[in-house]
Amino acid sequence: MEATSTPRITCTYLNSYVGKNVLVVGKVVQLRGDEAIIDADGNITAHLHREAHLSAGSGVQIIGKVNPDLSIKVLSSLDLGTSVDYNLANAVVEVTHQHKSVFAYD
Amino acid sequence: MGAEANYGGGGGYARTTTYGAQGGEDGGGFVGGSQQGSQGGQGGSKYDNDTLRPVTIKQLVDSKEDYPGGELKIDGLGVTQITLVGQIRSVNAQTTNITYRVDDGTGVTDVKKWVDAGGDDDEAGGASKGFALDTYVRVFGRLTTFNNKKHVGAHFIRAIDDFNEVNYHLLEAAYVHLALTKGAPAGGDGVAGAGGAGDDNMFVDGGYGGGGATTGGGGGGGGSAVPSRVSACSRGAQNFFKYLTEAVGGVDGVNLNTIATGTGLSTREVIAAADELLGTGLIYTTIDDETWAILDY
Repeated sequence: MEATSTPRITCTYLNSYVGKNVLVVGKVVQLRGDEAIIDADGNITAHLHREAHLSAGSGVQIIGKVNPDLSIKVLSSLDLGTSVDYNLANAVVEVTHQHKSVFAYD
Repeated sequence: MGAEANYGGGGGYARTTTYGAQGGEDGGGFVGGSQQGSQGGQGGSKYDNDTLRPVTIKQLVDSKEDYPGGELKIDGLGVTQITLVGQIRSVNAQTTNITYRVDDGTGVTDVKKWVDAGGDDDEAGGASKGFALDTYVRVFGRLTTFNNKKHVGAHFIRAIDDFNEVNYHLLEAAYVHLALTKGAPAGGDGVAGAGGAGDDNMFVDGGYGGGGATTGGGGGGGGSAVPSRVSACSRGAQNFFKYLTEAVGGVDGVNLNTIATGTGLSTREVIAAADELLGTGLIYTTIDDETWAILDY
Protein backbone atom coordinates (compact mmCIF):
# COMPACT_ATOMS: atom_id res chain seq x y z
CA MET A 1 0.00 0.00 0.00
CA GLU A 2 1.18 3.47 -0.74
CA ALA A 3 0.15 6.75 0.72
CA THR A 4 0.37 8.74 -2.49
CA SER A 5 -2.62 10.43 -3.99
CA THR A 6 -3.40 12.36 -7.14
CA PRO A 7 -6.13 14.74 -6.00
CA ARG A 8 -9.17 15.15 -8.23
CA ILE A 9 -9.43 18.79 -9.26
CA THR A 10 -11.21 21.11 -11.63
CA CYS A 11 -9.96 24.30 -13.30
CA THR A 12 -10.67 26.39 -10.20
CA TYR A 13 -8.28 24.37 -8.04
CA LEU A 14 -5.27 24.57 -10.42
CA ASN A 15 -3.74 27.46 -8.47
CA SER A 16 -3.30 25.45 -5.31
CA TYR A 17 -1.70 22.45 -7.01
CA VAL A 18 1.22 23.90 -8.99
CA GLY A 19 4.04 21.36 -9.18
CA LYS A 20 1.82 18.52 -7.99
CA ASN A 21 0.28 15.55 -9.71
CA VAL A 22 -3.45 15.81 -10.16
CA LEU A 23 -6.34 14.00 -11.78
CA VAL A 24 -8.78 15.86 -13.99
CA VAL A 25 -11.99 14.63 -15.59
CA GLY A 26 -13.30 16.85 -18.35
CA LYS A 27 -14.44 17.20 -21.90
CA VAL A 28 -12.03 17.64 -24.80
CA VAL A 29 -12.95 20.97 -26.35
CA GLN A 30 -10.15 21.33 -28.84
CA LEU A 31 -7.20 19.32 -30.12
CA ARG A 32 -4.15 21.12 -31.56
CA GLY A 33 -1.22 18.84 -32.24
CA ASP A 34 0.18 17.84 -28.88
CA GLU A 35 -1.95 20.34 -27.03
CA ALA A 36 -5.54 19.97 -25.93
CA ILE A 37 -8.08 22.23 -24.28
CA ILE A 38 -10.07 20.36 -21.67
CA ASP A 39 -13.19 21.73 -20.03
CA ALA A 40 -13.39 20.83 -16.36
CA ASP A 41 -15.51 23.59 -14.85
CA GLY A 42 -13.34 25.94 -16.95
CA ASN A 43 -10.79 25.42 -19.71
CA ILE A 44 -7.45 23.79 -18.96
CA THR A 45 -4.55 23.54 -21.42
CA ALA A 46 -3.02 20.08 -21.46
CA HIS A 47 0.33 19.17 -23.01
CA LEU A 48 -0.10 15.65 -24.29
CA HIS A 49 2.39 12.86 -24.60
CA ARG A 50 2.73 10.75 -27.70
CA GLU A 51 0.57 7.83 -26.66
CA ALA A 52 -2.43 9.98 -25.79
CA HIS A 53 -5.46 9.17 -27.90
CA LEU A 54 -8.06 11.83 -27.37
CA SER A 55 -10.99 12.79 -29.50
CA ALA A 56 -12.71 16.15 -29.48
CA GLY A 57 -16.12 16.09 -27.83
CA SER A 58 -15.34 13.03 -25.71
CA GLY A 59 -14.75 12.85 -22.01
CA VAL A 60 -11.23 12.28 -20.81
CA GLN A 61 -9.44 11.58 -17.58
CA ILE A 62 -5.92 12.95 -17.42
CA ILE A 63 -3.33 12.52 -14.72
CA GLY A 64 -0.47 14.97 -14.87
CA LYS A 65 1.63 17.64 -13.30
CA VAL A 66 0.47 21.24 -12.98
CA ASN A 67 2.92 23.67 -14.58
CA PRO A 68 3.57 27.17 -13.17
CA ASP A 69 1.49 28.63 -16.05
CA LEU A 70 -1.43 26.43 -14.86
CA SER A 71 -1.29 24.11 -17.85
CA ILE A 72 -0.98 20.39 -17.21
CA LYS A 73 1.77 18.10 -18.46
CA VAL A 74 -0.09 14.87 -19.09
CA LEU A 75 1.47 11.66 -17.79
CA SER A 76 -1.46 9.36 -18.41
CA SER A 77 -4.76 9.76 -20.18
CA LEU A 78 -7.89 7.69 -20.55
CA ASP A 79 -10.65 8.20 -23.07
CA LEU A 80 -14.04 8.03 -21.34
CA GLY A 81 -16.42 8.14 -24.28
CA THR A 82 -19.38 10.46 -24.61
CA SER A 83 -21.67 9.40 -21.78
CA VAL A 84 -19.79 11.13 -18.99
CA ASP A 85 -21.85 13.13 -16.51
CA TYR A 86 -19.67 16.23 -16.07
CA ASN A 87 -21.86 17.76 -13.38
CA LEU A 88 -21.38 14.60 -11.39
CA ALA A 89 -17.63 14.66 -11.93
CA ASN A 90 -17.44 18.28 -10.77
CA ALA A 91 -19.61 17.53 -7.75
CA VAL A 92 -17.29 14.68 -6.83
CA VAL A 93 -14.32 17.07 -6.96
CA GLU A 94 -16.10 19.35 -4.49
CA VAL A 95 -16.88 16.45 -2.17
CA THR A 96 -13.30 15.20 -2.28
CA HIS A 97 -12.08 18.63 -1.20
CA GLN A 98 -14.65 18.93 1.57
CA HIS A 99 -13.74 15.56 3.03
CA LYS A 100 -10.01 15.31 2.54
CA SER A 101 -9.61 12.64 5.21
CA VAL A 102 -11.30 10.16 2.88
CA PHE A 103 -9.71 11.23 -0.38
CA ALA A 104 -6.33 12.93 -0.30
CA TYR A 105 -3.04 13.43 1.46
CA ASP A 106 -1.79 16.97 1.83
CA MET B 1 -20.85 -22.40 -8.15
CA GLY B 2 -17.81 -24.09 -9.51
CA ALA B 3 -15.61 -22.30 -7.07
CA GLU B 4 -17.30 -23.76 -4.06
CA ALA B 5 -17.21 -27.29 -5.33
CA ASN B 6 -13.50 -27.04 -5.91
CA TYR B 7 -13.02 -25.51 -2.54
CA GLY B 8 -14.65 -28.41 -0.80
CA GLY B 9 -12.65 -30.93 -2.74
CA GLY B 10 -9.26 -29.33 -2.69
CA GLY B 11 -9.14 -27.44 0.54
CA GLY B 12 -11.30 -29.62 2.70
CA TYR B 13 -8.56 -31.85 4.00
CA ALA B 14 -6.81 -29.03 5.76
CA ARG B 15 -9.71 -27.72 7.73
CA THR B 16 -12.68 -29.97 7.60
CA THR B 17 -13.78 -28.75 10.98
CA THR B 18 -13.74 -25.10 10.13
CA TYR B 19 -15.35 -25.38 6.76
CA GLY B 20 -18.85 -25.23 8.13
CA ALA B 21 -18.19 -22.28 10.30
CA GLN B 22 -16.13 -20.17 7.97
CA GLY B 23 -16.80 -21.33 4.46
CA GLY B 24 -19.16 -18.53 3.71
CA GLU B 25 -16.75 -15.96 4.88
CA ASP B 26 -14.18 -16.30 2.19
CA GLY B 27 -16.72 -17.03 -0.43
CA GLY B 28 -14.90 -19.79 -2.25
CA GLY B 29 -11.65 -17.87 -2.44
CA PHE B 30 -8.70 -20.23 -2.40
CA VAL B 31 -7.24 -18.64 0.66
CA GLY B 32 -3.90 -19.80 2.02
CA GLY B 33 -3.43 -21.07 5.54
CA SER B 34 -1.64 -18.04 6.89
CA GLN B 35 -4.31 -15.73 5.68
CA GLN B 36 -6.97 -17.86 7.21
CA GLY B 37 -5.09 -17.58 10.48
CA SER B 38 -5.00 -13.83 10.44
CA GLN B 39 -8.69 -13.69 9.74
CA GLY B 40 -9.62 -16.12 12.44
CA GLY B 41 -9.61 -13.45 15.10
CA GLN B 42 -11.96 -11.12 13.36
CA GLY B 43 -14.08 -13.61 11.49
CA GLY B 44 -15.53 -16.31 13.65
CA SER B 45 -19.21 -16.01 14.14
CA LYS B 46 -19.52 -12.22 14.11
CA TYR B 47 -21.63 -12.22 10.99
CA ASP B 48 -23.84 -9.45 12.30
CA ASN B 49 -21.08 -6.98 11.50
CA ASP B 50 -20.21 -8.55 8.20
CA THR B 51 -21.19 -5.69 5.95
CA LEU B 52 -20.01 -4.69 2.50
CA ARG B 53 -18.50 -1.24 2.79
CA PRO B 54 -17.60 1.05 -0.11
CA VAL B 55 -14.17 2.56 0.56
CA THR B 56 -11.43 4.61 -1.03
CA ILE B 57 -7.90 3.22 -1.03
CA LYS B 58 -6.78 6.04 1.25
CA GLN B 59 -9.19 4.77 3.88
CA LEU B 60 -7.60 1.33 3.61
CA VAL B 61 -4.10 2.78 3.88
CA ASP B 62 -5.14 4.79 6.93
CA SER B 63 -7.00 1.94 8.62
CA LYS B 64 -5.51 1.00 11.97
CA GLU B 65 -5.77 -1.78 14.49
CA ASP B 66 -6.40 -1.01 18.15
CA TYR B 67 -3.64 -3.39 19.23
CA PRO B 68 -1.12 -5.48 17.25
CA GLY B 69 -2.91 -8.35 15.59
CA GLY B 70 -6.30 -6.79 16.19
CA GLU B 71 -9.03 -5.98 13.76
CA LEU B 72 -8.35 -3.22 11.23
CA LYS B 73 -10.71 -0.31 11.67
CA ILE B 74 -11.93 2.60 9.57
CA ASP B 75 -13.83 5.36 11.38
CA GLY B 76 -13.72 3.21 14.49
CA LEU B 77 -15.59 0.37 12.86
CA GLY B 78 -14.08 -3.01 11.98
CA VAL B 79 -13.49 -3.50 8.28
CA THR B 80 -14.93 -6.69 6.90
CA GLN B 81 -16.04 -6.95 3.31
CA ILE B 82 -15.10 -3.98 1.18
CA THR B 83 -15.67 -2.79 -2.35
CA LEU B 84 -13.43 -0.35 -4.15
CA VAL B 85 -12.97 1.11 -7.60
CA GLY B 86 -9.66 1.95 -9.24
CA GLN B 87 -7.38 1.75 -12.23
CA ILE B 88 -5.02 -1.17 -12.78
CA ARG B 89 -1.45 0.10 -12.70
CA SER B 90 0.43 -3.18 -12.94
CA VAL B 91 -0.32 -6.86 -13.22
CA ASN B 92 1.78 -9.61 -11.74
CA ALA B 93 0.48 -12.99 -12.78
CA GLN B 94 1.62 -16.11 -11.01
CA THR B 95 0.43 -19.69 -11.12
CA THR B 96 -1.70 -19.45 -7.99
CA ASN B 97 -2.69 -15.82 -7.99
CA ILE B 98 -2.65 -12.54 -9.85
CA THR B 99 -1.61 -9.42 -8.00
CA TYR B 100 -2.81 -6.09 -9.34
CA ARG B 101 -1.68 -2.68 -8.22
CA VAL B 102 -4.84 -0.63 -8.10
CA ASP B 103 -4.88 3.18 -7.97
CA ASP B 104 -8.02 5.23 -7.37
CA GLY B 105 -6.38 8.64 -7.09
CA THR B 106 -6.53 8.55 -3.29
CA GLY B 107 -3.89 5.86 -2.82
CA VAL B 108 -2.44 2.68 -4.25
CA THR B 109 -2.96 -0.86 -3.03
CA ASP B 110 -2.20 -4.43 -4.00
CA VAL B 111 -5.19 -6.55 -4.86
CA LYS B 112 -4.63 -10.28 -4.90
CA LYS B 113 -6.95 -12.59 -6.76
CA TRP B 114 -6.44 -16.28 -6.29
CA VAL B 115 -6.65 -18.24 -9.48
CA ASP B 116 -9.27 -20.93 -9.50
CA ALA B 117 -7.50 -24.17 -10.35
CA GLY B 118 -10.61 -25.36 -12.13
CA GLY B 119 -10.01 -22.69 -14.73
CA ASP B 120 -13.78 -22.41 -15.11
CA ASP B 121 -13.80 -18.82 -14.01
CA ASP B 122 -16.86 -16.67 -13.74
CA GLU B 123 -15.10 -13.49 -14.69
CA ALA B 124 -15.31 -13.95 -18.43
CA GLY B 125 -11.63 -14.73 -18.74
CA GLY B 126 -10.68 -11.65 -16.79
CA ALA B 127 -9.05 -13.37 -13.86
CA SER B 128 -7.10 -15.92 -15.84
CA LYS B 129 -5.78 -13.49 -18.41
CA GLY B 130 -5.62 -10.43 -16.21
CA PHE B 131 -7.03 -7.01 -16.93
CA ALA B 132 -5.35 -4.56 -19.29
CA LEU B 133 -3.40 -1.68 -17.78
CA ASP B 134 -5.31 1.50 -16.99
CA THR B 135 -8.73 -0.17 -17.07
CA TYR B 136 -11.08 0.81 -14.30
CA VAL B 137 -12.21 -2.16 -12.24
CA ARG B 138 -14.54 -2.77 -9.34
CA VAL B 139 -13.12 -5.02 -6.65
CA PHE B 140 -15.07 -6.92 -4.01
CA GLY B 141 -12.89 -8.36 -1.30
CA ARG B 142 -11.52 -8.31 2.17
CA LEU B 143 -8.75 -6.25 3.71
CA THR B 144 -6.04 -8.58 4.99
CA THR B 145 -2.62 -8.27 6.55
CA PHE B 146 0.32 -10.42 5.51
CA ASN B 147 3.83 -9.86 6.85
CA ASN B 148 2.65 -6.53 8.26
CA LYS B 149 1.61 -5.39 4.81
CA LYS B 150 -1.99 -4.67 4.07
CA HIS B 151 -3.51 -5.85 0.86
CA VAL B 152 -6.94 -6.65 -0.51
CA GLY B 153 -7.85 -10.28 -1.02
CA ALA B 154 -10.32 -10.10 -3.88
CA HIS B 155 -13.35 -12.34 -4.15
CA PHE B 156 -14.34 -10.86 -7.44
CA ILE B 157 -13.05 -8.27 -9.88
CA ARG B 158 -14.86 -6.90 -12.89
CA ALA B 159 -14.14 -4.21 -15.43
CA ILE B 160 -16.19 -1.01 -15.29
CA ASP B 161 -18.06 -0.17 -18.49
CA ASP B 162 -19.66 3.11 -17.48
CA PHE B 163 -17.15 5.63 -16.14
CA ASN B 164 -19.83 7.32 -14.04
CA GLU B 165 -19.74 4.30 -11.73
CA VAL B 166 -16.33 5.54 -10.57
CA ASN B 167 -17.84 8.81 -9.42
CA TYR B 168 -20.85 7.10 -7.85
CA HIS B 169 -18.51 4.93 -5.87
CA LEU B 170 -16.53 7.90 -4.53
CA LEU B 171 -19.74 9.61 -3.45
CA GLU B 172 -20.95 6.42 -1.82
CA ALA B 173 -17.69 6.03 0.09
CA ALA B 174 -18.02 9.62 1.32
CA TYR B 175 -21.68 9.04 2.24
CA VAL B 176 -20.93 5.95 4.29
CA HIS B 177 -18.01 7.69 5.99
CA LEU B 178 -20.26 10.60 6.96
CA ALA B 179 -23.12 8.35 8.05
CA LEU B 180 -20.77 6.47 10.36
CA THR B 181 -19.01 9.49 11.80
CA LYS B 182 -21.89 11.97 11.99
CA GLY B 183 -24.95 9.73 11.99
CA ALA B 184 -27.33 8.80 9.21
CA PRO B 185 -29.62 11.40 7.70
CA ALA B 186 -32.86 11.87 9.60
CA GLY B 187 -36.22 10.39 8.79
CA GLY B 188 -37.29 9.13 5.42
CA ASP B 189 -33.93 9.29 3.76
CA GLY B 190 -34.48 10.36 0.16
CA VAL B 191 -37.77 11.96 1.03
CA ALA B 192 -36.17 14.14 3.64
CA GLY B 193 -33.61 15.23 1.10
CA ALA B 194 -36.25 16.09 -1.46
CA GLY B 195 -38.52 17.81 1.03
CA GLY B 196 -35.53 19.67 2.29
CA ALA B 197 -35.82 23.15 3.55
CA GLY B 198 -39.59 23.32 3.51
CA ASP B 199 -40.00 20.39 5.82
CA ASP B 200 -37.73 21.43 8.56
CA ASN B 201 -39.08 24.94 8.65
CA MET B 202 -42.41 23.41 9.36
CA PHE B 203 -40.98 21.38 12.19
CA VAL B 204 -39.14 24.15 13.87
CA ASP B 205 -41.84 26.80 13.67
CA GLY B 206 -44.96 24.74 14.04
CA GLY B 207 -44.48 21.36 15.52
CA TYR B 208 -41.82 22.09 18.02
CA GLY B 209 -43.59 24.66 20.12
CA GLY B 210 -46.07 22.05 21.20
CA GLY B 211 -43.35 19.90 22.67
CA GLY B 212 -43.52 16.93 20.35
CA ALA B 213 -47.05 15.76 21.00
CA THR B 214 -48.56 17.88 18.29
CA THR B 215 -46.05 17.22 15.56
CA GLY B 216 -48.24 14.51 14.09
CA GLY B 217 -50.10 17.10 12.07
CA GLY B 218 -47.56 18.29 9.58
CA GLY B 219 -44.83 15.74 9.95
CA GLY B 220 -45.38 13.76 6.83
CA GLY B 221 -44.82 10.41 8.46
CA GLY B 222 -41.07 10.74 8.76
CA GLY B 223 -41.38 9.48 12.30
CA SER B 224 -38.72 11.59 13.90
CA ALA B 225 -39.37 15.25 14.57
CA VAL B 226 -35.69 15.99 14.47
CA PRO B 227 -34.73 19.13 12.61
CA SER B 228 -32.15 18.73 9.91
CA ARG B 229 -29.59 20.67 11.90
CA VAL B 230 -29.48 17.81 14.39
CA SER B 231 -28.87 15.25 11.68
CA ALA B 232 -25.60 17.00 10.95
CA CYS B 233 -24.45 16.36 14.52
CA SER B 234 -22.69 13.34 15.98
CA ARG B 235 -24.59 10.30 17.16
CA GLY B 236 -24.19 11.23 20.79
CA ALA B 237 -25.64 14.66 20.16
CA GLN B 238 -28.56 13.14 18.28
CA ASN B 239 -29.34 10.78 21.17
CA PHE B 240 -29.03 13.66 23.58
CA PHE B 241 -31.38 15.80 21.56
CA LYS B 242 -33.90 13.00 21.12
CA TYR B 243 -33.89 12.33 24.84
CA LEU B 244 -34.39 15.99 25.58
CA THR B 245 -37.39 16.24 23.24
CA GLU B 246 -39.04 13.33 24.97
CA ALA B 247 -38.14 14.29 28.52
CA VAL B 248 -40.40 16.44 30.66
CA GLY B 249 -38.16 19.06 32.12
CA GLY B 250 -40.26 22.08 31.52
CA VAL B 251 -38.50 25.41 31.36
CA ASP B 252 -35.94 24.25 33.90
CA GLY B 253 -34.52 21.68 31.51
CA VAL B 254 -32.93 18.36 32.30
CA ASN B 255 -29.83 17.76 34.38
CA LEU B 256 -26.61 16.14 33.23
CA ASN B 257 -27.03 13.05 35.39
CA THR B 258 -30.58 12.42 34.28
CA ILE B 259 -29.52 12.64 30.65
CA ALA B 260 -26.55 10.35 31.20
CA THR B 261 -28.78 7.72 32.78
CA GLY B 262 -31.53 8.15 30.23
CA THR B 263 -29.37 7.97 27.11
CA GLY B 264 -26.76 5.55 28.38
CA LEU B 265 -24.00 7.98 27.45
CA SER B 266 -21.09 8.66 29.78
CA THR B 267 -20.92 12.00 31.55
CA ARG B 268 -18.10 13.09 29.31
CA GLU B 269 -20.05 12.14 26.18
CA VAL B 270 -23.07 14.07 27.41
CA ILE B 271 -20.96 17.17 27.95
CA ALA B 272 -19.41 16.83 24.51
CA ALA B 273 -22.86 16.40 22.97
CA ALA B 274 -24.12 19.42 24.89
CA ASP B 275 -21.23 21.55 23.63
CA GLU B 276 -22.03 20.50 20.10
CA LEU B 277 -25.72 21.28 20.41
CA LEU B 278 -25.03 24.57 22.21
CA GLY B 279 -22.73 25.50 19.35
CA THR B 280 -25.48 24.99 16.81
CA GLY B 281 -27.99 26.83 18.97
CA LEU B 282 -30.33 23.89 19.41
CA ILE B 283 -30.28 23.87 23.20
CA TYR B 284 -29.46 26.33 25.99
CA THR B 285 -28.31 26.08 29.60
CA THR B 286 -30.92 26.81 32.23
CA ILE B 287 -30.45 26.87 36.01
CA ASP B 288 -26.76 25.91 35.88
CA ASP B 289 -24.09 24.87 33.38
CA GLU B 290 -25.12 21.24 33.56
CA THR B 291 -28.79 21.56 32.85
CA TRP B 292 -30.13 22.04 29.38
CA ALA B 293 -33.41 22.63 27.61
CA ILE B 294 -34.35 22.71 23.97
CA LEU B 295 -34.31 26.12 22.47
CA ASP B 296 -37.61 26.49 20.65
CA TYR B 297 -38.80 29.59 19.08
